Amino acid sequence: VSSSGKTGAVLARLVLAVAVLLAGRGPAAAVSIPAEEFTLDNGLRLLVHVDRSAPVVSSYIFFRAGSRNERRGTTGIAHLFEHMMFNGGKKFGPGVFDDVIEGHGGSTNGFTTRDMTAYLNNFPTAALPVVLDLEADRVAHLAITPENLEQERGIVMEERRLRIDNDVEGAMNEALYLQAYQRSPYRWNTVGFMADLERITLEEARAFFQTYYAPNNAVMVLSGDVDPAAAHALVKKLFGDIPRRPPPAPVDAAEPPQDGERTVMVRKPAQLPSVMLGYQAVAATHPDRPALDVAAQLLAGGESARLTLDMVRTTEVATGVYADLRWGIDPDLFLIYAQAKPGKTADDLIARIDEGVSGLARGPVAPEELARAKRQLRIELLKGLKTVGGKANQLGFFEVVFGDHGKVGELEAQWNAVTPEDVQRVVAKYLVPERRTRAVLQPVQPETPASARPAAAETGAPS
Amino acid sequence: VNAAGIGIALALLLPATAHAVQLPPVTRATLDNGLRVIVAETRELPLVELYVMVGSGAAQDPVGKEGLASLTADAVTRGAGTLSAEDFARAVESLGGSLGAQAGTDGTIVNGEFLAEDFPTGLDLLRKVLRDATLADDEIRRARDDQLAALVAALEDPSTVAERCFGAFLYGDHPYGRWLDGTKASVQSITRDDVKAFYDRWYRPNNTIVTVVGDVRAADVLERMRVALGDWESRPDAVPERAGPPAPITARRTLLVDQPDASQAQIRVGSIAMARNAPDLLPSQVVNTVLGGGFSSKLIEELRVKRSLTYGASSMFVARLTGGDFRISTFSKNATAVETLALALEVQQAFRTQPVDAKLLGKARTFLAGQFPLKLETPDALAGRLAEIEFFGLPKDDLETYVSRVEAVGPDVAHQMAERHMPTADRVAIVVAGKASEIKPALEEQFGPVRVVAREECEGLRP
Repeated sequence: VSSSGKTGAVLARLVLAVAVLLAGRGPAAAVSIPAEEFTLDNGLRLLVHVDRSAPVVSSYIFFRAGSRNERRGTTGIAHLFEHMMFNGGKKFGPGVFDDVIEGHGGSTNGFTTRDMTAYLNNFPTAALPVVLDLEADRVAHLAITPENLEQERGIVMEERRLRIDNDVEGAMNEALYLQAYQRSPYRWNTVGFMADLERITLEEARAFFQTYYAPNNAVMVLSGDVDPAAAHALVKKLFGDIPRRPPPAPVDAAEPPQDGERTVMVRKPAQLPSVMLGYQAVAATHPDRPALDVAAQLLAGGESARLTLDMVRTTEVATGVYADLRWGIDPDLFLIYAQAKPGKTADDLIARIDEGVSGLARGPVAPEELARAKRQLRIELLKGLKTVGGKANQLGFFEVVFGDHGKVGELEAQWNAVTPEDVQRVVAKYLVPERRTRAVLQPVQPETPASARPAAAETGAPS
Repeated sequence: VNAAGIGIALALLLPATAHAVQLPPVTRATLDNGLRVIVAETRELPLVELYVMVGSGAAQDPVGKEGLASLTADAVTRGAGTLSAEDFARAVESLGGSLGAQAGTDGTIVNGEFLAEDFPTGLDLLRKVLRDATLADDEIRRARDDQLAALVAALEDPSTVAERCFGAFLYGDHPYGRWLDGTKASVQSITRDDVKAFYDRWYRPNNTIVTVVGDVRAADVLERMRVALGDWESRPDAVPERAGPPAPITARRTLLVDQPDASQAQIRVGSIAMARNAPDLLPSQVVNTVLGGGFSSKLIEELRVKRSLTYGASSMFVARLTGGDFRISTFSKNATAVETLALALEVQQAFRTQPVDAKLLGKARTFLAGQFPLKLETPDALAGRLAEIEFFGLPKDDLETYVSRVEAVGPDVAHQMAERHMPTADRVAIVVAGKASEIKPALEEQFGPVRVVAREECEGLRP
């Protein structure tokens, strides 16, 4: 299938703001990532951002296939699949993907979130054709074999042990989402349940690939030392024949109303108590999202932020505190996480968090405090654009989650428009107990079995 | 064809990466008080990185006061000049900037990032930190409490536990075996006078390198440096006498750190190797890439791809001022921990005794050369590399010649490096941190006598 019939029309929207990125250099210049935009006949989206400052390119390909697209019984399949994608297609056989990329001076990786799976490569300009060839080969012809599945199953189980089972924060996060969501697939962790990882079948893996790894369900982003027209021609040549498939069924993420606060206790061997609070908030595209971003910054964005100042310095109950609204396709949680100082309790933490949050709802934030939060958000955004990879990641993330990569250029204006009243309003609306789930860590001191002790004594270890 | 013509033709045939590293102009100056200043102008983003290396770190902690360099670094931004700790944080964050300090082993890094337009204000804040830190009693107490809490919290993370135990077990009494945060007893003993003495002695211009990278003009930066730091008083004893190289390992030793609650064991194995300025370091890193760098290394192939024993496996040379080490890092569930360790060691042993495959070596060279520009992409990364050149006394053209030095490593040299700098199996330090009751029998059977300690006992551990 050729896309020649629409050769001219694929330039659906050429963003003309090529030099807009920080053109003014002053604080007023909006941060944006100019990109040329193409759509192949089979639906594959291509975004190209030109940055010639070094002879390197970053390629990202995003699939709208995260753990939100999974079902009970196959949790973790999106991430397991990400692993399988490195194990060979037709032209490039098993075990050569990493070899070929690295052999051309590139590095490669992938990641999976609740909303998406992404594959990335950072490489010298000259490697662009072979990198795209590798990507197209695995998208068109991935070898979904028993060997591939069994190999990655064991590796992913080790990854789960690393990130969740043997990591206090990871375990807290998993418990929080399981409690905060009743019906939405956001409830389970992207790495999946161990029982599901054990039982996922080859047929399920094949079906997942068939459904989600379609060109019309993907966004390719190239950023760096690359010519948009040439890149488009190359992508069309390599990906143009991959057939379009029926679009995946929409995800039903509707949640029953939360009528009261929920609490989950996490008993783990740990040294210090901690709490992770999740408030049912809004999707990334919701108009209240920017004000919640600002609220998170006011609460815990730096040492002078309200919760940090109060909990770490004034009352000295916490070693640190973190607040963030997760930007999701579906409404995600506004998270607040704090770890207690030795001798302090989870209740101490919650009491101070409640005080700080209600303070934001009670009265308007001072202009200089608001200005500080906005300036911090702007610089954080800028810092994400230091590398060609960072820019490719942002473009793809906005295309998938916000539905339009150009939305990254609107962030600053949205934040700047947030008023003290907006902050008060969203805090009073969303950061309330009725929308909250608390994961409370109950540290369990590990017992040292007797078998370990005598040996230590025999060799004279200090105790 | 004349000689010049041949040169051009050959140049065109080389891989695109070979001569493509374009560095911004670098200006170096030494002020009368001995302060070394390095400036590189970059224009991609309106940011500026201030990166200061004070040449004293944990290696200069007095015996019994381990953790002093860390505590001092934490304290210097808690109030300076006429600004209280809170005012200082507010001053930095109102700019949207950051400014912090962190001790390492051989030195302390004080670094900050600001919008380029805020460089003068950022520099003024930096001047206060370097010359005029308040070190108020109450702030020292807070810093001490935080450090004690961090020591406790570190016990929660299996990987941190393994790193800490490995350092002590490998280096013994040498300062490089110290945990940066010290021990509970040593940190409790640190007084305000200790911090003041450390600061007064070591935070001096003749022991300091300031690197500035970003959207600035070198002449302007130098002029402002002279004004801000030109009359900073040097001290003849501010440059530390360094400890000699650490003692090599003469017999294998094995430590099992009991984490009875862990379902996964962290594994470290290694030996003493070389210093940062050793001419063998770069060729050794090239050959190590074949063994344990990237995603297509021998360790990944054998441990992860072929047997699914782990999610990650790597090897590296850690190189410091007067010495360093070679280490393999991996992890696996308790039941397969010893199998994983034995196999990692077996792969490494075979690697050091057999000639290095020329093709794999070529791939490693291309990988390192190709990734190099990506490692210099950000102002902070470039600042770190420029400061490193100065601090470790490397040739000034270290970055410019990096790629050609990598390309020059052939199979013979590679094999020599592996033989010379990677240990034999009877001269390694082994640390396994996991569930001792499940691991100990197999570990003893394979590796002989095993010393077992509780995780808390790595404080003050001696081989």
